Amino acid sequence: MTTETAAWAPERDYGTPGTAATQTVDVTIDGRSVSVPAGTSVMRAASEAGVDIPKLCATDSLKAFGSCRMCVVEVGDVDGMRKGAPAACTTPCADGMVVDTRTDQVRRLRRNVMELYLSDHPVDCDGCSRGNCEIQALATTVGSAEVRYGRPESRDGVARPAPVDDSNPYFAFDPASCIVCSRCVRACSDIQGTFALTVEGRGFESTISPGGTDFLSSECVSCGACVQACPTSALQEHSIIQLGMPTRSVDTTCAYCGVGCSFRAEVTGAGPDDPEARVVRMVPTKAGGANEGHSCVKGRFAYGYAAHRDRQLSPMVRDSLDDEWRAVSWDEAITRVADGFKAIQSEHGVGAIGGISSSRCTNEEVYVVQKMVRAAFGNNNIDTCARVCHSPTGYGLKQTFGTSAGTQDFKSVEKTDVILLIGANPTDAHPVFASRMKRRLRAGAQLIVADPRRIDLVRSPHVEAQHHLPLLPGSNVAFVNAMAHVVVTEGLHDQEFLRERCEDVDAYLAFIADPVHSPEATEEITGVPADELRAAALLFARGDNSAIYYGLGVTEHSQGSTMVMGMANLAMITGNIGREGVGVNPLRGQNNVQGSCDMGSFPHEFPGYRHVSDDGVRGIYEELWGRTLDPEPGLRIPNMFDSALGGTFRGLYVQGEDIAQSDPNTHHVEAALRAMDLVVVQDLFLNETARFAHVFLPGTSFLEKDGTFTNAERRINRVRPVFGSKVGKDEWEITCAIGRAMGYDMHYDDAAQIMDEIAATTPTFAGVSFARLDEEGSMQWPVNDAAPSGTPTMHVDHFVRGKGRLVETEFVPTTERSTRKFPLILTTGRILSQYNVGAQTRRTSNNTWHPEDILEIHPADAEMRGITTGDLVDLSSRVGSTTLRALVSERIPAGVVYTTFHHPVTGANVVTTDNSDWATNCPEYKVTAVQVGVANARGETTAAAAEHPLPLVEPVETHA
Amino acid sequence: VTAPEARLGNDIARQFAHLPDEVAVAAIARHIETFWAPPMRDSLRELAAHDPDELDPLLASAAGLLHDKATRTEPAAHP
Repeated sequence: MTTETAAWAPERDYGTPGTAATQTVDVTIDGRSVSVPAGTSVMRAASEAGVDIPKLCATDSLKAFGSCRMCVVEVGDVDGMRKGAPAACTTPCADGMVVDTRTDQVRRLRRNVMELYLSDHPVDCDGCSRGNCEIQALATTVGSAEVRYGRPESRDGVARPAPVDDSNPYFAFDPASCIVCSRCVRACSDIQGTFALTVEGRGFESTISPGGTDFLSSECVSCGACVQACPTSALQEHSIIQLGMPTRSVDTTCAYCGVGCSFRAEVTGAGPDDPEARVVRMVPTKAGGANEGHSCVKGRFAYGYAAHRDRQLSPMVRDSLDDEWRAVSWDEAITRVADGFKAIQSEHGVGAIGGISSSRCTNEEVYVVQKMVRAAFGNNNIDTCARVCHSPTGYGLKQTFGTSAGTQDFKSVEKTDVILLIGANPTDAHPVFASRMKRRLRAGAQLIVADPRRIDLVRSPHVEAQHHLPLLPGSNVAFVNAMAHVVVTEGLHDQEFLRERCEDVDAYLAFIADPVHSPEATEEITGVPADELRAAALLFARGDNSAIYYGLGVTEHSQGSTMVMGMANLAMITGNIGREGVGVNPLRGQNNVQGSCDMGSFPHEFPGYRHVSDDGVRGIYEELWGRTLDPEPGLRIPNMFDSALGGTFRGLYVQGEDIAQSDPNTHHVEAALRAMDLVVVQDLFLNETARFAHVFLPGTSFLEKDGTFTNAERRINRVRPVFGSKVGKDEWEITCAIGRAMGYDMHYDDAAQIMDEIAATTPTFAGVSFARLDEEGSMQWPVNDAAPSGTPTMHVDHFVRGKGRLVETEFVPTTERSTRKFPLILTTGRILSQYNVGAQTRRTSNNTWHPEDILEIHPADAEMRGITTGDLVDLSSRVGSTTLRALVSERIPAGVVYTTFHHPVTGANVVTTDNSDWATNCPEYKVTAVQVGVANARGETTAAAAEHPLPLVEPVETHA
Repeated sequence: VTAPEARLGNDIARQFAHLPDEVAVAAIARHIETFWAPPMRDSLRELAAHDPDELDPLLASAAGLLHDKATRTEPAAHP
């Protein structure tokens, strides 16, 4: 295994952000000449010239502030005129400027300033002694060995003693160590966009405050930007206190959502194989293309699950579901899997087994799973958890644009004037992208939110949507058609773009101009007032750059694929495709959901979205893999379940997906799993699905993986192992071993070799290799001869399919309707601190924020049922029922209830149905007719808890 | 209990119901050929032959047009 690891060193801090200017100016700093873009600060220019200027309030992730006065320099102009001693951070370079950072006057000023800081900074500051404080080092640099004004001996002796705020589970705030430089306040407002922090008081009374309360009770979202920005130990991770400072670091990629943030894992211990090695902290890297130095509470802090005591490290088998698990050797487990699958195939046919790959695994791991299924199993029964989230995105964008992926990079939003956000809640589900979006909104972009629920972006500090269109669940297509109808009937469509770039134009324009699609005609369906929808459509059409961002509120419907095509129509008729600032942008759920789809995880497609019936493509793999491959599509996940109940599908390999919790209609899924002869689960934990498994194969966490993840912007990022595999094998090795045991020789020396095979066979990945990724940092596919460093913006001069196709998106309502028995519509979503079914986040202190799933219900619906906040309520649909606590809230409209699906004890999917997207069978999670009533048993234990043997996992602080 | 192939197929048929019958039936058949595994296509043919009442009439007609082999390239969502 290749483990790239480096001695610990923080990323270089240039003091102030760079500028985008192309014009350069020449300056001389301490006799060194340097050429920098116009507008660059003296501080940054000095840093680039190799001259470090002392600083405390400056850091290059924040605009210059000029408060600490440590960075004073002497500036002379070309004529030798002295300009005094300004702060280097706030002084822009001018052509010909001469700067001296070492004069006696500068040294004296700095020493004085530092003495003033130290006069209220305790001698026993633990950050100083630990090495996690810039003051101590800086005091030495500027020569403030003695403090003429005296120093407080202990933290109790500072001017304004205050207790340490330990309320946040991941970090503490010690006001005694704070120098009130405002880095944290600025990080919270400028980077994160939450505005939770402020400076209270004046002079010596000044203190940083999370709004007059403690951090946990405040509006703080625990993104950690303040902790990272703090130059002292005033804001400090608990892990630093517990484990000390790191000794080495590894650059890698987050394993939570589809934003795919780049991180530097900072680690203790001697090396990757040191059993005592622990992650001290995850620091987002400024060089990361997706996140550019920012993170959220999950990525930065919630990594402890990788070392949680629930983690299974040994293969296990059992003869029946009633037996106890028995730990066995890898050989025994693999033999059991292979013999079992072969026996099923010999009795029930080649197609009686299949596999499910995971969007939590690397491209290399996923590629190998589909290879095992196609070559070793000999069928195409391979599917992936993208089936239940973004499969309609793949279908809809391929139909209209020609490729199954979003059109932009995240940075594109900086050029957007009007954002149309549909069925997505970025501040909870894609928080780092949400921060980018909020920054753009604060700079003047306008926002339209189309969502039944009043999400935070509708109105939050310094952000307010121009329009919130609370459309009813299930009415998306009617809504997007009405938007397009207004654009076309008002004559605002981009005729030149349509003429040059699109096909089926006349038929579409005639279709959409039909008054049946007007906002007035569809008002009853969408629930959106016609005049408000008209105003929103005009805003979108008139924006210079209008962009659509969307999430699972689009895809997880019976018309999910139609809606994706409807949004593509809207982007095309307004000419908003093919440049920065525009596009149709899916916010993908999982870290590698894009990648798992790219890697041929669908039963009808080889890697690169090429149909299995294509003789040419199949020939490539048949020659390389040395097997005749099935030219017919295989079974999708729901088809596997149906076939299992029909007795024709009897063996399943599931990698890293908890289908018993995450897939709809849990009772149906469980019955299907029980009907199978052999269920193999490969995962970190004994998840809900493992209750129905006969063989358990332990998987590896992202901290042990070597490979790549591809995020929602098609960005291929390296995942590098921080530790060696804790289970003795890499996941792709396990898969290969099963293939070999079934008689098909598949072997790789390392993960890089797998990527080489992907690149050799998949045109969009032609230029990708680990070596190239290490050089570039990351690349966005397609990466080929025409775009050797990748493609940030797609469809620039022409669509991948040639002309963009306008599709007549007829609105066909779902068959799921509210009835007298089930009068409410349930829709589901996510919350910031938890992630999907919670397998990871529930095993971290993130439970502090969200210990259970809550049902949000409108006051009118609650009153009618006698429900008040905190009541246990029964939630039932035509397929099942569960019990959870209610929150009476006006965030959702009357007639609609909302919950999350993070906790197995609630089992929200017990109530969701078999309804699915017509084209891809993505489940209709977002629309379920339900009834809600006060539970009979008000009390400590819920009915759901009694049905489920697994206890709620209590918050446990662990370190990976 | 509705057969899964009937439920899934009827969902597809409803999406094309606004088109002229002949066009709709062809589109439904191409879609199913592209995305359905052969055993499911066989089940659909069986249903069309023995239990057509379970099927949307457009789907029942499409079942009669299914080729034995998968469509080689994905059909247009709308012809």
